[in-house]
Amino acid sequence: MKRVDAGAHPREGRSGARGVVVRGLSGGYEPGRDALSEVSFAAEPGQIVGVLGPNGGGKTTLFRALLGELPIRRGEVELPGGPAYVPQTERARLDFPVSALDVVLMGAYARTPWFRRIARRDRDAARAVLERIGLADEADASFGALSGGQRQRVLIGRALLQDAPVLLLDEPLSGVDGVSAARIDALFAELRAERRTLLVATHDVRQAGEWDRVLCLHGRQVDYGRPAAVLSPETLRETYGAELIVLEGGGRAVGVGHHAH
Amino acid sequence: MSLDLGAPYVQRALLEMLLLALPAGLLGSWIVLRRLAFFTHAVGTVSFPALVLASAWGIAPQLAALAAALGFGVAQERLERTRRLGADAATGLLLVGALAAGVVLASDVFESGTEVDTLLFGSLIGLSASDVWLTALVAAGAVALDAGLRRHWLGAGFEPAGARALGLRPVLADRMLLAGIAAAAIVALSAVGALLVTVVLVVPAATARLLTDRLASLQLAAIALAAVEGVAAVWLADSLNVGAGPALAVLGGTVFALVAVATALRARAVPA
Repeated sequence: MKRVDAGAHPREGRSGARGVVVRGLSGGYEPGRDALSEVSFAAEPGQIVGVLGPNGGGKTTLFRALLGELPIRRGEVELPGGPAYVPQTERARLDFPVSALDVVLMGAYARTPWFRRIARRDRDAARAVLERIGLADEADASFGALSGGQRQRVLIGRALLQDAPVLLLDEPLSGVDGVSAARIDALFAELRAERRTLLVATHDVRQAGEWDRVLCLHGRQVDYGRPAAVLSPETLRETYGAELIVLEGGGRAVGVGHHAH
Repeated sequence: MSLDLGAPYVQRALLEMLLLALPAGLLGSWIVLRRLAFFTHAVGTVSFPALVLASAWGIAPQLAALAAALGFGVAQERLERTRRLGADAATGLLLVGALAAGVVLASDVFESGTEVDTLLFGSLIGLSASDVWLTALVAAGAVALDAGLRRHWLGAGFEPAGARALGLRPVLADRMLLAGIAAAAIVALSAVGALLVTVVLVVPAATARLLTDRLASLQLAAIALAAVEGVAAVWLADSLNVGAGPALAVLGGTVFALVAVATALRARAVPA
């Protein structure tokens, strides 16, 4: 099992920093059965990679591998530093006694010794993050009282405070309101300008087509490259099988493969 | 109906209740937030047969309860790992088994039913100085655990999938939480009985949860509530000559019901 951590902070090596490199990765939780295999790609700093695939196709499994939580059998993963992870909002408990600010501050846990209060610098940074995600007025609102899109923005804010060179986002745009989607899009552009690498799992093919690279997974890697080269009907058919893809936002749906209706 | 504060057993009982208020408020809040009430109840109940044996063999009841809690943890994990039983069903099975074993053992060991009552529902007179010392130790441990691990419990409990990416240690922290709760349940059962550990470890925190939406105030309110209810329960138990456990259960249940009704009424008067 190899997981190389180059350890460079995004602020330090922005000019020469490397992005995410994955070589011949195979791994899984069950002994003898790979949940994901033959994954090889390189994403540079400042690139947004759309990760496409059907449910159970390995998107989350790839994220687990990058987070160092998946037993890797073959291959290796190279990261410029520990990645930040943004889960789907449904994964977070709505009945926990935490405010939007509390959740963002969790991004500073790793650099706060247990016996210390969270540093003033990080508290100020958290306020700035709330401003940045457009929720400065909701700092003290309970996380559970926010809308789905606002909750998603708060979870992204938590990753922003972590200040990680790599961000892994699990369907950050599915089911969010228009205001939140626009704000998240703008944040993606800023993060790209900051030379961070974003891996974004999504079901929305059209949206992935607007990003820098697309990674298609179906238990194994189907294809990786520029959207124009990758997003062909053949590749999508191989990625999704006969599954229907819903293009969110536009409310349109396209069938990939041959549908009877 | 006044409490004889000069009596050593009353002093010990009051001290025990005040000390228990610390784990009740600190760990009790986590029990409520992390949905571990059934686990807490189970640790108390599975210790019942062990307490019967301890009393027959003349060993420390807390030691026997600790052994039972460890056995419970192992058995629970085994039953769950077969994947044919959910965690709750596995716990339920073990509880029934423990109660049955306890009753069978008790009929062999004890002459009268009162001793069984004491084990199940607690006794004020039965508290020894070493019981109180042990509770003080666990209370100090609860303060230390909460201080050291509260961010892990909060972060991982709020959203487990991203916990490790935040630099948290969710597996280790959760094991420590379960161990801390088990220790708190074990020292609580000598005061309130094997069947009623949840009245001290769950009910005050559940009541406080109705009143506040912040972790720190939840824990402080739960500590205060557990202390006040505990002291009142000692007075009630002494006056009515009942066990401390049942007295606290009636008190805690009543306060919870009143707070629940009051907060529901207020929510209706001021719609969010």
